[in-house]
Amino acid sequence: MPTMETAGSFLPIIAALPFLGALLPGLMIQAGRNTCTAFTLAPTVLALLLLLISAPAVMRGEVLLFRLDWLPALGLNVTFMLDGLGLLFAGLILGIGVLIILYARFYLSREDPMGQFFTYLLLFQGAMVGIVLSDNVLLLLIFWELTSLSSFLLIGYWKHLPEGRQGARMALVVTGLGGLSMIAGMLILGNVVGSYDLSVILTQKEAIQASPMYLPALILILGGAFTKSAQFPFHFWLPHAMAAPTPVSAYLHSATMVKAGLFLMARMWPVLAGTPEWFYLVATTGLVTMVIAAKIALYKDDLKALLAFSTVSHLGLITMLLGFGTKMAAVAAVFHIINHATFKAALFMTAGIVDHAAHARDIKRLGGLRRLMPVTFAIATVGALSMAGIPLLNGFLSKEMMLEEAAHTVWAHSHWVVPVLATLGAVFSVAYSFRYIVHVFLGPERTDYPSKPHDPEFGMWAAPGFLVVLVVAIGVAPVLAEPLVKATAASVTGGGLPDFHLKIWHGVTPALYMSAVAVAGGALLLAFHAPLMRLWLATPRPEAKTMFDAVTRAATLAGRGFTDSLHDGALSRYAGIFTVTVLGAGVFAWTGGASLPATRAPLPVALLPAVGWVLLMVATFALVAFHRNRLMALVLMGIVGLIVSLGFIYLSAPDLALTQISVEVVTIVLMLLALNFLPHRTPAESGPAKRFRDAVVSIAGGVAVAGLTYAILLRDFAAESISAFHLDKSYKGGGGTNVVNVILVDFRGFDTFGEIIVLGIAALVIFALTDAVLRGPGGRWLTSWDPVGDEAGDRHPLMMVVATRVMMPIALMVGVYIFLRGHNDPGGGFIAGLIVAIAFLMQYMASGFAWAESRQRVTYHVTIGFGVLIASLTGIGAWFAGRPFLTSDYGYITIPPLEKFEWATAMAFDTGVFLTVVGAVMLALNSLSSMARRTGETVNIFPMDINPARSDDDDDGEGEGEGGR
Amino acid sequence: MLADILISAFLVVSGVFGLTGSFGLIKLPHPMMRLHAPTKATTLGVGGALIASMLFFHFKLDQFSFHELMIALFLFMTAPVTGLFIAKVHLHRNETPDTLPPTSTDRPWASYESDAERAKIEEAREAD
Repeated sequence: MPTMETAGSFLPIIAALPFLGALLPGLMIQAGRNTCTAFTLAPTVLALLLLLISAPAVMRGEVLLFRLDWLPALGLNVTFMLDGLGLLFAGLILGIGVLIILYARFYLSREDPMGQFFTYLLLFQGAMVGIVLSDNVLLLLIFWELTSLSSFLLIGYWKHLPEGRQGARMALVVTGLGGLSMIAGMLILGNVVGSYDLSVILTQKEAIQASPMYLPALILILGGAFTKSAQFPFHFWLPHAMAAPTPVSAYLHSATMVKAGLFLMARMWPVLAGTPEWFYLVATTGLVTMVIAAKIALYKDDLKALLAFSTVSHLGLITMLLGFGTKMAAVAAVFHIINHATFKAALFMTAGIVDHAAHARDIKRLGGLRRLMPVTFAIATVGALSMAGIPLLNGFLSKEMMLEEAAHTVWAHSHWVVPVLATLGAVFSVAYSFRYIVHVFLGPERTDYPSKPHDPEFGMWAAPGFLVVLVVAIGVAPVLAEPLVKATAASVTGGGLPDFHLKIWHGVTPALYMSAVAVAGGALLLAFHAPLMRLWLATPRPEAKTMFDAVTRAATLAGRGFTDSLHDGALSRYAGIFTVTVLGAGVFAWTGGASLPATRAPLPVALLPAVGWVLLMVATFALVAFHRNRLMALVLMGIVGLIVSLGFIYLSAPDLALTQISVEVVTIVLMLLALNFLPHRTPAESGPAKRFRDAVVSIAGGVAVAGLTYAILLRDFAAESISAFHLDKSYKGGGGTNVVNVILVDFRGFDTFGEIIVLGIAALVIFALTDAVLRGPGGRWLTSWDPVGDEAGDRHPLMMVVATRVMMPIALMVGVYIFLRGHNDPGGGFIAGLIVAIAFLMQYMASGFAWAESRQRVTYHVTIGFGVLIASLTGIGAWFAGRPFLTSDYGYITIPPLEKFEWATAMAFDTGVFLTVVGAVMLALNSLSSMARRTGETVNIFPMDINPARSDDDDDGEGEGEGGR
Repeated sequence: MLADILISAFLVVSGVFGLTGSFGLIKLPHPMMRLHAPTKATTLGVGGALIASMLFFHFKLDQFSFHELMIALFLFMTAPVTGLFIAKVHLHRNETPDTLPPTSTDRPWASYESDAERAKIEEAREAD
């Protein structure tokens, strides 16, 4: 017998298996559909086995726990718990999952991408198992949102159908919004209790119900549960989600996802239930949902829509039972969850079979299938009769218990409201269940089926067949389900269950009368279905989809209006809002706090900085004056950049200066390329008033920054600076004397790691954007683009080509030098990367991009990828030494002819930085030049346009010293 | 003493040519003429300063300074290319093929020969 410790350790594996397994089907589809199905079944069956191994302990009343501290500071820990309720739901999810996978194997046609489907299905399965096993509320919320996302993928699986896409979106919006509300509610609850662990929360009933935050928390949590379980008025998404393939409907919308809301209500039952607020909110919602949805279901012609509304109705029934707040009602709820899952999943599958065989789901086009599809008929009949609540089937047992509970429930001092409405719901339920049998399978055989109906192969009816066997078995011998119901109900109610036995015959009770009325009334309703249907069609009723569309459209418009008023794509507005906000914050901080007195005297102005300052000011004012001339603006910006780099040198920051100047060169070259496609002058788009306003804002911003800088420069730091630490540890800890470089690759290596990834992503985004522009109208515009003025001949002059070729090795050598000395002297991978990129850039400027690129063997995407990869591997390397990610190491080695020199793992990391920078810059250049080629710019065959060597005699067609490919 | 005089002399030469170059840049009437003036400043002006610097390091600090040679090399490589491009821009902005002096061959100035024309001529030449 496994001890509690080892049994508990299965829990994370059970939750993780479907997620890990989700990787398999997508790959295994290459090996065929059967293999793919087998690899989807494997993780599910394995998880189910692990669950069954843990089951005996749970049935004895133990609670298995697994705990792993993740982010204890946030109260977010990976804690799993398995009690009766969790066992029931996990069993349903995995057990029905196995059946659904089998069924889907035969349901999906050859054109459907099966690997994708099973991957989504396993993701969903994992999320659901995660919900029911979580012991931590925050973890539960994460899984909760994951079910919304994965069900979105599943509902929208047939992407080519607009109904599928719209249904998926609607489900995501409704359940996602509910999830948000639940997050708020759960956070309140956790705040009240002081812990986010469910096992702790569940013991704090008095504290929670006494808290003034009880009602808000209750409403918010119910918001999540009601949306997920499609309770009125949020029920409308479920019928629209029926656009999904039938296995999805059977799995998500009858057995699992929609029951997540019920699970949550059952989970929180011990602490939330028992108050009048709970009773009126939950029981009323459940009752209303049950009756309304049952009524709608009767008038639906689409088989799946009928089943969808019947599901909503049954979910309402269970919600109502949970809402009653008595222990026996909770028992009935648990029992009905089991029964509903069995017969409804079977019914959905038969609907899928009928659809598959007859190519029609519309009841009007069906009828008389009894003899054509005898097996399906048998399965569907048992399922539907159970749904109607006919004795000897499991639906009867739980429905009796429900009616029994309803019979003595008092609602607002009225003894008859609940029993009468519950009976009414049961009447409709019987009517639509009978209709499913009578209008589809009975009646005369027809000749106009879209396709000749026939029973499917065994694999397709095996799963529903197995389920109806369960339906009958529990119906005849309810004792079979009793232990599970007892264990589950015990954990729902928190123990102290009255002694009860599930049995068929309770004697002549009010419930029996109500049942009889329901069956008779249902049969009567069906007999008068045709005239009632005409009446139904004639009465106007609100259409949920149009209302939903109107609301989402209004929300989108409002959101867009709000966003556009702040950020309409005009840089000036964006910058203006930013500046004003920062100014406001600055003024608030300045007036709100105290500032220290000035402690430093200003230094006298030396000649050199004064010259630089004057140049800076002149360039800036000139930029303001001439900014409409774009080329001039670029030149002036170059001046500003140069002065800034000189400033860095003057202030003893050679690393920054090197970076600044190389970035400056690259930027100016790239901007020159971009400028090629822009008008030469910026048109004046704003009037004088607007310009005056902008001027005021920018001057205020500039003055504020200058003032702040001046104030800071006159004071010592309020707190001790970290520089001393860096200077102290740089050589001893990081093995380098260049503190800037050691900070980049060691102290803040993780930052740099993130930055190069961002840089790589940015370059790829530029590439993707350019690609998208060239495919769209922008590309057509470029094709017809006529450059202003005539183009110069001899664009690749001999002098330039020769000069750049001569400089190339020198520039590369400088790059290597800067790279190698980086750890101890100014330099490093980033600067070296820019220098090497500039060396390549020169070749492109001299001989044209296409010519140079065709001589490059490695693509830039690969360069970026390798850069990030090398940096990651270096970081991972530290693990082998048993140290945290990116810990660096260094030492000294001597190779005989050379002097002793230092090695450092930071060097490998720096190589990653270097490659990423080179790749990113070159990819950006590539993107811009691909625009030029789209305008029809010719690709030169020769490295230079006029080559005296070529015209003398017939050489090999290449320039001197240039090796061809 | 001699070294001091030598260094000073090169500095003076450098200053004079630098001034001349700058003065020419302002004073000369035509862009193509103006292109000439700064070349004096870059070659002789900067060159003088570089030689002075090398002498200073050699005689005064007793070490060989290599940097000046590199600076000279880069100047010699970049100045002509810059000049060429400035001239090309000038041709395209201010002149037309008709206002330019003839090239004394049957081909126009390189900057006014389109890719297609040049390809045709070269093809014909290769066919010979």
